[in-house]
Amino acid sequence: MKFKVKSVAENILFASNIFILFLVFFQEKVVLPNWLQAVGRMHPMFLHFPIVILLIAMFMEFFRFRPQNISQEHYRNFSSNFLLLGSLSASVTVIMGLMLSKESGYTGDTVFWHKWTGIGIVFIASFVYWYRNEKWYKESLAKISALITAVCLMIAGHLGANITHGEDFIFAPLMSHKAEEMVSIDKAEVFAHVIKPILEKKCQSCHNPEKAKGGLLLDTPENILKGGKTGKLFLAGKPNESLILQRIHLPEEDKKHMPVAGKPQLSKIETDLIYWWIKSGAVFNKKVLQLSEKDTLRILAAKILVPVEKEEEHYDFASADEKTIEKLSNNYRVIYPLAQESPALEATFYNKTQYSSKALEELLELKKQVVELNLNKMPVKDADLKTIAQFENLRTLNLNFTDINGEGLSHLTNLKFLKSLSVSGTKVSLKSIQALKAIKSLREVFVWSTGLSVTDIAQLQKQSGSQMAFIAGYKDDGKSPMKLNTPIVLNKTMVFSDTMHLVLKHPIPGVEIRYTLDGSNPDSVKSPVFRKELVLNQTTLFKAKAYKKSWYGSDSIVYNFYKSSYKPDSIALEEPAVEKYSGDDGVKTLINGYVGNIVHNDGKWLGFQNKDMEVKMQFLKPIELQTVSFHFLSNLGSEIYPPVEVQVWGGKDKNHLKLLKTIKPNAPVKGQSAFSFMSVCNFPKSNVEYLKLVAVSVKKEPSWGNQPNKPGWLFVDEILLN
Amino acid sequence: MEKEIIENSLNINRRKFLSRMSLGLGSVALGSLLMPDLFSGGADAEAASFMPGLPHFAPKAKRVIYLFQNGAPSQLEMFDYKPKLREMFGQELPASIRMGQRLTGMTANQAKFPLAGSYYDFKQYGKSRAWISDLFPHTAKIADDICIVKSMFTEAINHDPALTFFQTGAQQGNRPSFGSWMSYGLGSENKNLPAFCVLLSRGKGNGQGVYSKLWSNGFLDSIHQGVQFSSGDNPVLYLNDHSGIDKVNRRKMLDKLAELNDMSYQQFGDPEINTKIQQYEMAYRMQTAVPDITDVSKEPDDVIKLYGPDCLVPGTYAANCLLARKLSENGVRFVQLYHQGWDQHGNLPKEMAGQAKDVDQASAALITDLKQRGLLDETLVIWGGEFGRTNYSQGKLLADNYGRDHHPRCFSIWMAGGGVKSGIVHGETDEFGYNIVQDPVHVHDFHATCLHLLGLNHEKLTYKSQGRRYRITDLAGKIVPGIIA
Repeated sequence: MKFKVKSVAENILFASNIFILFLVFFQEKVVLPNWLQAVGRMHPMFLHFPIVILLIAMFMEFFRFRPQNISQEHYRNFSSNFLLLGSLSASVTVIMGLMLSKESGYTGDTVFWHKWTGIGIVFIASFVYWYRNEKWYKESLAKISALITAVCLMIAGHLGANITHGEDFIFAPLMSHKAEEMVSIDKAEVFAHVIKPILEKKCQSCHNPEKAKGGLLLDTPENILKGGKTGKLFLAGKPNESLILQRIHLPEEDKKHMPVAGKPQLSKIETDLIYWWIKSGAVFNKKVLQLSEKDTLRILAAKILVPVEKEEEHYDFASADEKTIEKLSNNYRVIYPLAQESPALEATFYNKTQYSSKALEELLELKKQVVELNLNKMPVKDADLKTIAQFENLRTLNLNFTDINGEGLSHLTNLKFLKSLSVSGTKVSLKSIQALKAIKSLREVFVWSTGLSVTDIAQLQKQSGSQMAFIAGYKDDGKSPMKLNTPIVLNKTMVFSDTMHLVLKHPIPGVEIRYTLDGSNPDSVKSPVFRKELVLNQTTLFKAKAYKKSWYGSDSIVYNFYKSSYKPDSIALEEPAVEKYSGDDGVKTLINGYVGNIVHNDGKWLGFQNKDMEVKMQFLKPIELQTVSFHFLSNLGSEIYPPVEVQVWGGKDKNHLKLLKTIKPNAPVKGQSAFSFMSVCNFPKSNVEYLKLVAVSVKKEPSWGNQPNKPGWLFVDEILLN
Repeated sequence: MEKEIIENSLNINRRKFLSRMSLGLGSVALGSLLMPDLFSGGADAEAASFMPGLPHFAPKAKRVIYLFQNGAPSQLEMFDYKPKLREMFGQELPASIRMGQRLTGMTANQAKFPLAGSYYDFKQYGKSRAWISDLFPHTAKIADDICIVKSMFTEAINHDPALTFFQTGAQQGNRPSFGSWMSYGLGSENKNLPAFCVLLSRGKGNGQGVYSKLWSNGFLDSIHQGVQFSSGDNPVLYLNDHSGIDKVNRRKMLDKLAELNDMSYQQFGDPEINTKIQQYEMAYRMQTAVPDITDVSKEPDDVIKLYGPDCLVPGTYAANCLLARKLSENGVRFVQLYHQGWDQHGNLPKEMAGQAKDVDQASAALITDLKQRGLLDETLVIWGGEFGRTNYSQGKLLADNYGRDHHPRCFSIWMAGGGVKSGIVHGETDEFGYNIVQDPVHVHDFHATCLHLLGLNHEKLTYKSQGRRYRITDLAGKIVPGIIA
């Protein structure tokens, strides 16, 4: 039985040998039906069998004539069967491969050599199988055949891998440093360094001279323009009608989607780059920087390209002696290396009073190493620039707010490496700045807040071109004035007994404060100017505004200053206020001179709920009282209501007080926003030693209130007695 | 005999064992050739080569000013323009977008998640055509100087852990703050001022607290602790001499105190004692340096107009920005600002307008001011909050009033200056502004990138405490090359 199987296999091997010969000779004329195409596509899978089996078989063949092997039946059978199986699978693989090569896109040297080594393997292996038992088949022939087959297997395998995975698949990781070399944006060309790398990475594994799928080659501009079998790849300027983008945008499941499912897909930015490249006319020899700065293609390209190569600083001088650095460093002259193990030093001076020309000269011991010198706000004179010019490796020099007027700047032309110079806030002149043009290395000059006008700076910039930037900074052109902030009242209390010295200030120097006392809005011309202080001797409504040239006037501040002639010697509440709102000063919150604003929980108010406020006051000497004023709060959103009724009781005997006055403040209106107000009770002059003041709270909120029928809150703050 | 057989078999086993072992070791040795770090000395050798106080490599930025917007400003009303949310105003957030991701307890029980588009309009600015809302007209003017990162994300969903995470690299606290790490890694520039200063201000919006743990030195030497400057007459507390003590007396007292402290150090060897001596000395020098720095009366009119009139009102954000510039200009490594009031769970359109008005002009002014002094190149400025806000409304959604809950999955910050690409927008969120679709930047990545700009390798900036080495990036953090110039 077993013998029978073997003879069938032998027959198949013979048949396939012939079939291969046929396919090779009539390659051009063969047309494959679809189902055979599927067989052909199994080539990359099936090829692994012959490689392994044949290698084993050839290994055994190599050692077949050794005495201990030749006598063993096992060895003989095994090697023969393996050789048969190997040759057979090689034949099948070659047949499949030949079929696959009929598909479009398999041309070129690699495919050629792959094909012929593959075919060679089949015939050498078959030859060995057919003739290995002949007498003339000697050990040497066996060894040579085995070796040749093994070598051919290696070559065919490697070439095949190159076809599938792309050239140099194996060695790519070793060469990646070279391949990934990035081009900086200033040197990059749109096609060569932006578009081409995308095609190389994502498209060329199938569209290359070795394997031009769809007849499309993406290796040279000419071939790209030519397109493939389906037609031109794109219409310059019309990305939406371009085949390449249509294919990219097809859903990935679609057969025509590119890159083929399973291969690395294009990222969003890569797709966008191709889109904008085609849109901009698909030119091949433009530089990225030739595109306008707002061009989308340029902005996108900038994202993937390396920014303009920074000239990496190389310091070819030796490090300074650490002891010298230590000796020269102190709290006001700080010296340290730019980084660990860097020979370059940075030196900064602090504290004006500690600076002297000598302190700068001492630093010359490190004149080779100091590359950054910061003299911000030091009283540096022009003569010191001569010293500074000796720091031959200086890169960055900060002379902001120093005392130079620029005459000494010409000394700096010795500095061959100076890149950045700051002279903001100095008195440098246009003429002195022009001396800097001789410093070829200079890139940035900061001239904000100097004697230079806007036109001066524009002129400088024009003269020096794009190599050197003059930074002008912010200067108010007066075209968009800003509003001043409001004046600040420095007095802490708003209530006084006799007179009050009102003091105002404004944070911005040179501001004029104008005020009114009659409730009208202050005017920048007509209203009196506030000077130093204002003496008030009666309850006053005070309004003030700040003005300054080239600013808009501030908002008005509005203050009530209250006179309260008398202060009780003792004061007590009949029932305490709610603890949370019992005031910073307890009951004395009512007479401490601080008048609350509409914030009810800031400790300046006393709050009552479901109770009336009843406060008793005692005076050691009788007072002549005519008016009692109460400051109340109304904030319907927080259920705070004005009192229903206010009563003033007074007399000389605390057990027999007389009702001096009752008033009913206006009831609140639905939807009213929060406000505070004074309830004033006027009555005929009375002599009193005792006072009882009552404010009756709202016990039931109105139906439109936040919590109808629940008790409302009552908030009282200052009580004024006049 | 039996014994010998056993012996023999044991010997065979031994031989086998030894030969196998040598083979095994051989293969391990071979494999180890693929691990480059194995023979480079390990952590201890690395630590020995690490010298705190100097950058590991040439830095791009020397100083940091961190404008922290505490409370988490809504990215959707600032830089993350989402017209889709306006189109779908009031419609339900699609479940496919939320993907069941965690919400806070404040909205998790909400029956509906109605999408809320920005109340404010957006326009495009600068060479990157960045979208910036009308709330930030001054920031729009500096669009070419800043790098907007729209794809920040964090792990925490509530204020305190998120803030602590941003400031220390861990959510739990007790770790050194970002500024402390920097002070430790780079040392102080100006020996007359602390290397790490903190300034607080508060807007009118719904606020969240900040606590001194955020500028704590953690396990680092206490000289690296942040020093808070306050707005009153005494910017630095306990710095002024008591009345009746003059400079000479103060000096004498400090000298004697230092002697006593030194004796104590000789006896106990606690390094904190040396720190104490140094701090007294620095405080003495600060007595002259601080009044000079906090005095803004000599600032020219142009500067006042640049920052806005509030910059002369102590305690405002604008004043703090101006002070931050002065501190940074004088060599303070890290100036940390916190502006509170950005927690808009409700009433967002109105509150955000107020908050934006507080910070917009002064933030932009700081960039311009640093630039015109030639300092922007060496100063890294960071602007942003601790997380973002949801694209759906918390509470009732009205055309002109809504709120947004916490959203850690995407938010926007901006960076400028030292080594940061200017005029770019990094990262992208989906059209609902809910998830990141491109170039996500984790908080650890952000720290790693900042440290890189400062010349520090975040993996090497370590400190050993309680038996293990700590980094601000813990065991994570990737540098974001896309934002480095």
